Amino acid sequence: MSLAASVVTKVQMAPWSMQERVLIIVPAYNEAGSLPQLIKALQAACPRCDVVVIKDGSTDNTPQVVKGLARLVSLPCNLGIGGAVQTGLQIALHEGYQFAVQVDGDGQHPPQEVAKLLAAARESGSDLTVGTRFRSVGGFKSTAARRLGIRFFSFLLSKVCRSRITDPTSGFRVMNRRAIRLFARGYSEDFPEVEALVQVHRAGLRLQEVPVEMAERTTGKSSIGTVKSILYMLKVPLAICMSLLREREVALLDEVGRP
Amino acid sequence: MTEHGQTVVFLITLVIFGAVMWLVLKRKITERFAILWMGISLLLLLASSLGFRYLFKIAQLFGIPYPPSALFLLVIFGLTLLIIELYSWVSKLNERSRILAQQVALLRDSLDREIATRSGTRADRLSPARGPQHE
Repeated sequence: MSLAASVVTKVQMAPWSMQERVLIIVPAYNEAGSLPQLIKALQAACPRCDVVVIKDGSTDNTPQVVKGLARLVSLPCNLGIGGAVQTGLQIALHEGYQFAVQVDGDGQHPPQEVAKLLAAARESGSDLTVGTRFRSVGGFKSTAARRLGIRFFSFLLSKVCRSRITDPTSGFRVMNRRAIRLFARGYSEDFPEVEALVQVHRAGLRLQEVPVEMAERTTGKSSIGTVKSILYMLKVPLAICMSLLREREVALLDEVGRP
Repeated sequence: MTEHGQTVVFLITLVIFGAVMWLVLKRKITERFAILWMGISLLLLLASSLGFRYLFKIAQLFGIPYPPSALFLLVIFGLTLLIIELYSWVSKLNERSRILAQQVALLRDSLDREIATRSGTRADRLSPARGPQHE
């Protein structure tokens, strides 16, 4: 705690002279197969960044393969991707990181693209920077059903947020201090990606998309099967509607209250 | 419904009421939940004894041709309330357990790092920016 506290004071005293600190959050549920390679690639691609693996109640040998490679935070039970990422964001918040990067543990998000996302976040000053698969040439191949779902959400989100959003389900994203604070306070537990965009919009923060290359997953399989997909299509729109109804006054208060 | 049927309903409800009371006394159910349960069983007790003749009036009022069905309506309404109450508690507990799990993970992480710092090895705190790597 004392270490974290001293870092925070230092950052507050000299915000710009301090070396910028970036935390790469890797939520992982039974991804021991791809983790060592991913961590090494991340450290090679961003040597200045700290990597933290959030073990989301994995039952495989994640602790053994991560040990000595990166910091490992073990959740005592499976919370889902949202709870895991939020844990990482709480670390970023309390230890004074300027940026947090979410990189999924399955190897879908290429480490060499992290620098590109970070640069875009720094340059534009956006609070949330999302890596999109659909703005680059070459594109990303996914199943037809999944593409349809993504298209539906990108239409919905573009309307809600009043800006063009092509890949709302992408989990490859960079958050700055303001977004870290927002999400550390509240983050959807099960399917957080789409809802987080609405949260950002409602809080009056800025978001941008940056085209990135994404790979097919190397090991493991998607956490979202058929039944879950249906649940996803029902839950996320409902959650969006609810947050549009609910958070209006909160968002307004935030805007008024912000210095 | 015959006198006989009325007595059966009354007795069953009495047993439920008694069971809830007993569970509260034994601290197996908190008073908060018991209130709804007792409310439902009291309502049923009343409906099946004193209020039975009013049941016909209520049934008429709701346009239910078969009066005992009014009893079912009351019960289903009560049970629905109870389930909603339960759902709200499950959601709240879920939220709390998430926060607890996160706090446990963060505390264990800072404990591990504290121990590592004290014993002089910083093996688990590694990142290339921060020090040499250990296997």
